[in-house]
Amino acid sequence: MKTLVFGAGNLLLSDEGFGVHFIQYLQNHYVFTEDVELYDGGTLGIMVTHLLEEADRVYLVDVVDTKGEPGDVFRFEKEEFLLGKLPIKMSPHQIGIQEVLTLSDLRGRTPDTVTLFGVIPASYEAGVELSPILATLLPKLADTVVQELRAAGHEITDIP
Amino acid sequence: MARITLDPITRIEGHLRIDVEVNGGSVNNAWSSAQMWRGIETILQGRPPQDAWIYAQRFCGVCTTVHAISSIRAVEHALKVEVPLNAQYIRNIIMAQHSVQDHIVHFYHLSALDWVDVVSALKADPKKTAQIAQSISDWPGNSETEFKAVKDKLKALVDTGRLGIFSSGYWGHPAMKLPPEVNLMAVAHYLKALDYQRKAAQAVAILGGKNPHIQNLCVGGVATAINMENLATINMEKIAAMRALMVETRDFVQQVYYPDMVAIASAYKEWFKYGRGVVNYLAVPEMAEDTKNTKFALPGAIIANGDVKGARVITNHQDLDLIANIKENVAHAWYEGNGTLHPWEGETKPKYTDFQDNGKYSWCKAPRLNGKPVQVGPPAQLLAAYAGGNAKVKKLVDDTCRKIGVGVNDLHSTMGRLGARAVRAHLMADYSLEYLDKLVENVGKGDKVYANHTEIPKGDFKGVGFHEAPRGTLSHWIVIENRKIKNYQAVVPSTWNASPRDDKGVLGPYEASLVGNPVAQADKPLEVLRTIHSFDPCIACAVHTIDPEGKEITKVKVM
Repeated sequence: MKTLVFGAGNLLLSDEGFGVHFIQYLQNHYVFTEDVELYDGGTLGIMVTHLLEEADRVYLVDVVDTKGEPGDVFRFEKEEFLLGKLPIKMSPHQIGIQEVLTLSDLRGRTPDTVTLFGVIPASYEAGVELSPILATLLPKLADTVVQELRAAGHEITDIP
Repeated sequence: MARITLDPITRIEGHLRIDVEVNGGSVNNAWSSAQMWRGIETILQGRPPQDAWIYAQRFCGVCTTVHAISSIRAVEHALKVEVPLNAQYIRNIIMAQHSVQDHIVHFYHLSALDWVDVVSALKADPKKTAQIAQSISDWPGNSETEFKAVKDKLKALVDTGRLGIFSSGYWGHPAMKLPPEVNLMAVAHYLKALDYQRKAAQAVAILGGKNPHIQNLCVGGVATAINMENLATINMEKIAAMRALMVETRDFVQQVYYPDMVAIASAYKEWFKYGRGVVNYLAVPEMAEDTKNTKFALPGAIIANGDVKGARVITNHQDLDLIANIKENVAHAWYEGNGTLHPWEGETKPKYTDFQDNGKYSWCKAPRLNGKPVQVGPPAQLLAAYAGGNAKVKKLVDDTCRKIGVGVNDLHSTMGRLGARAVRAHLMADYSLEYLDKLVENVGKGDKVYANHTEIPKGDFKGVGFHEAPRGTLSHWIVIENRKIKNYQAVVPSTWNASPRDDKGVLGPYEASLVGNPVAQADKPLEVLRTIHSFDPCIACAVHTIDPEGKEITKVKVM
């Protein structure tokens, strides 16, 4: 089974780059076997549809604009995107994850499982650092995802 | 008189607002407004110049490589660094393949649905669709079975009410006029196109180490070593893999995208009359063929008032007149004052007011060349190369015009811009393979140099990096002081085209292109989308927060 961990966002706008920081954190703290692909997707959206299609299980990490406090994390599953309850935007061209998955569906290639971890940001200021709230959250969320991947049978080693 | 505000314009980056005043079924005034402040250039101040490109390629979500190329060229120009031929060829391949990917996605996924009625495709006869498709191209994928499969899937989707990606389309709009069979053909190719944009991305990744965000640039060249016998470098096997990907993509562009574009343009010929706008053009030379950026395969030009014969052809990136006369005005932009500054002196001091029709109304500055607005993009590049005597471009443009039944002057239009993109994709697919051959040949001759490694010296320097990107002329401007970046400005293609009015009240290209545009139904301004999407707008470069928009959703808080 191939699992893709896809971090989205713009590294130059502080918390907007959370997904990218997330991927970098995983790369710096763990060693993964080839069945897990870590992907810094930037803000490409539709141009990476094929990556989603090539995996059996996908974790998306991104910021969300919804009610709650900065640092709150929400979990959404594929069924929720496909039912159209979540008109989320992931790409700079407004072809969001919902549309991308519908497209894959039309092509007969939707991945079996897609999970989105969405984080409420504290700051969109120009800057390459995360806000203190999201910087604190990052290792905790990484640990959550790594534990889930291990439970699914992936071998992941800590880098001391 | 009706006022229509489109905010955001669908299917494109979500930070562009367009306002139009419609009178008697056509637009008589327009405003283009970027709705997000792009202050990301300030991040570069104080950083080492050799790192600028790594940050700069995050400026935009889609065109990461183009900012990397412009940025590295700015530093090389400032320090007068020569770039070895191998590195120029590698950069040319990356640029050309990125263009192919970008144009495929623009045509099928970001603009085709303005012309193609997805719901009408359900009425198509797959057999007739196959006949039509086979009559315009001998591409092997155009079978009746293939079209029937797409129709069935589409029907299943419509039956479940989950139109998803197609939900924002204006289906059944009176301005949609393709027969159901052509609509089905376009929808099938829309889905297929995703496979080919991917192949182009893979080719870029082989050379650039990663896509998005290539990793292989350095001041003075590239870090891509090529050694045919070495497993760790770009070798025979990787070159063969790249060539195979590029051939497949070229075939798709030349046998599917290009003929589809010709078919759609022929069916909507009246759209060569609308969307003219600003017909001053700028393109810079591209596809470097020497180490000093003085010789290029594609010439640039400055064209005034659509007069191609009177163009001033630009042959290299050291054109002092061009460098001196690009300036940005902020009279109608949300920045302090109403002045005009050269990018080396550029400032980014925000001053937000409301949207004021006669005052400030956009975060986009107004770039001007010799005090005038100019349009950039594929039509500008083709017309410049045409004026500069590039035989390939001349033949391709003339052939395309003849097939559709229009003249070269009809490129100044909404459909002209879409057609020019298809022609440019055709051209870039060929250039990708041509530069791969040149690279292999040059390495075969024994030239193993990929970079002139350069330390940043003490002292004050200024540079500009020009690049003719898929959306048009891009320039990055750098001021270096004591080995640090003192100032950095990017004047991007969409800023030229999405420009607001300047201090003389002159409209920018989007705005001017909308004046005279028809609008059949004020509540469904499809025709406005057609003209704006023909520019392939991509405004503030890359903010994309996921936005549940306050609707009822199931959510499980996990931390």
